[in-house]
Amino acid sequence: MRRPLQVTLLVLSGLGLLHASLFTDLCLRYVKPGMRPLLIASGFVLLVLGIVEAAAREGRDGRKGHGRHEGHTHGAHAHGAGPHNEPEQHHGHDHSAVPRVAWLLLLPALSLLFYAPPALGAYTAARQPAKVVAEQDDFDPLPKTSPLPITLTDFTTRVQQDRSLAIKARTVEMSGLVTPVPGGGSWDLTRIIISCCAADAQSVKVRIYSDSIPAANTWVSVTGNWHPGGKLGTQSAPVALDAQTVKKIQRPSNGYQDALPFPSG
Amino acid sequence: MRRTDELAVGVEATAVVTPPAGGYPVDSGDAGIEDPPPPEPPRYWPLLLVAAAVLPGTALFLVGQGVSKAALQAWQTVCLAVIVQATPFLLLGTALSGAINAFVPERVFTRLLPKRPALAVPVAGVAGVVLPGCECASVPVANSLIGRGVTPAAAFAFLLSAPAINPVVLTATAIAFPGTPLMVLARLLASLVTAAVMGWLWLWLGREEWLRPAVRHTGHQPGHSRWTEFRRGFQHDFLQAGGFLVIGAMAAATFNVAVPRSVLDTFSGSPWLSVLFLAALAVILAVCSEADAFVASSLTGFSPTARLAFMVVGPMVDLKLIALQAGTFGRAFAARFSTATTVVAVLCSVLVGGVLL
Repeated sequence: MRRPLQVTLLVLSGLGLLHASLFTDLCLRYVKPGMRPLLIASGFVLLVLGIVEAAAREGRDGRKGHGRHEGHTHGAHAHGAGPHNEPEQHHGHDHSAVPRVAWLLLLPALSLLFYAPPALGAYTAARQPAKVVAEQDDFDPLPKTSPLPITLTDFTTRVQQDRSLAIKARTVEMSGLVTPVPGGGSWDLTRIIISCCAADAQSVKVRIYSDSIPAANTWVSVTGNWHPGGKLGTQSAPVALDAQTVKKIQRPSNGYQDALPFPSG
Repeated sequence: MRRTDELAVGVEATAVVTPPAGGYPVDSGDAGIEDPPPPEPPRYWPLLLVAAAVLPGTALFLVGQGVSKAALQAWQTVCLAVIVQATPFLLLGTALSGAINAFVPERVFTRLLPKRPALAVPVAGVAGVVLPGCECASVPVANSLIGRGVTPAAAFAFLLSAPAINPVVLTATAIAFPGTPLMVLARLLASLVTAAVMGWLWLWLGREEWLRPAVRHTGHQPGHSRWTEFRRGFQHDFLQAGGFLVIGAMAAATFNVAVPRSVLDTFSGSPWLSVLFLAALAVILAVCSEADAFVASSLTGFSPTARLAFMVVGPMVDLKLIALQAGTFGRAFAARFSTATTVVAVLCSVLVGGVLL
């Protein structure tokens, strides 16, 4: 692989990472926010590597003159034992010979720069069983506010494990994205949770019964009451909500966490 | 959009498999002179991997027309996520590998490690504690260790243990399994034992010729700038490993999207099948070792031993690691080594899990 191409690959990869982590928050579609400083640092390292490589090449070309430059960029590629026994070859052993597989790095670099795929959504959630919530024994009394902002995980725990039935007859507010359910009449309010990157995504879901079904992948804030069924406080109780209001919202920046909804109004 | 990308991948694959002139894609002559092209068959395995990555995606596209766009977008997201997440660790590993190559004299390792290879293996395995991060970092480091005169068996023990037993991963395991501290101990033990057994197995059965001739890591040459050597080695290793990371990520994303998690429930009933199934899942999901404990803790239908197998196999063998190893050590090595590691890791998990959990 020719040097200028190595420089291009390094610089594009560096720019791609910086674009996704420093200039925009695209990287939050793929990894946890905690990775961001590492990504920024990696972007700079790659950029510096590329610039230094380019400068080193310039230096050598400067010494060798213009004709040498021509020979290098046009003639050197893929010639096994060419007439190139100039000093540059003693530098890196055969480090200038990078396998062509490195070309593949162009795909993620260009993808980050020009076409960043969207965050995971309804498609992924629909194909996963809901994440199992942790066992909990002690429940604090619920705050008095109404509607009560609550996370999907907390709601699930309250419905299926809280023997004091504190959730009963309370109006709660949750937010998440819409995952359609086959059959109609209801849909799943969903939060996709990642622990490291999007490859380990898991989802928490609450079944919503409402008059209209919003489009898949819309982010909504829902208020409503527990949808009765089974025995509340046990595993037989359905994790479901009869919706009173369903309101479209912006995707929050911490979209891969099970966070409380924004304060309404 | 997706179609053009896939097309581009296919074109890449063709470009990759074209047998390079002189055995290696050399553009300055010296490697070709020093090291005559090894009598290798044409290297067509990247084509197989890329095909494994692309074909199911294409099949998805053809089969489910309604969901195809969403599926391909999810594929792209997961693929990019694996690459983005692994890049900092790959940079760390390749920088470390470049530094070992350029700055650390050979005698350091001969002094630190026991003379007898059979003893060096467990010592190197325990030394894996010092490399924080996930599995991508350990492949280039192990390669440069071999280049600096460390016996391959010890380097492989390090390669296997480092991503599984470093403090970051063990802490994550403790957080993911709050009620069962034994799980952390079991993971530590099973991973260490697997790493040591694999090292010894290499001493017993391994052959040098399975390894690609490591011509690159010649160490510091007198009269040359160490910094330049470091920079060039770092850059070379990153570009090469990065390319293979992309292949591995594409394969992992394909399985990640194509295999719905709900399939899991079918296997959770049988104790033996569930161990094998979760081990296979660890290979194809390619979750990074810092996160796999959280995934394991969510697989509640499975026995603790099966989940242990998931966490022991995952950091040692997965699709992106196989691609990285094939790129670094050669295909002949990667195929044998990954297969043997999977078997040993499953056995160790069953034994340790049976005793402790």
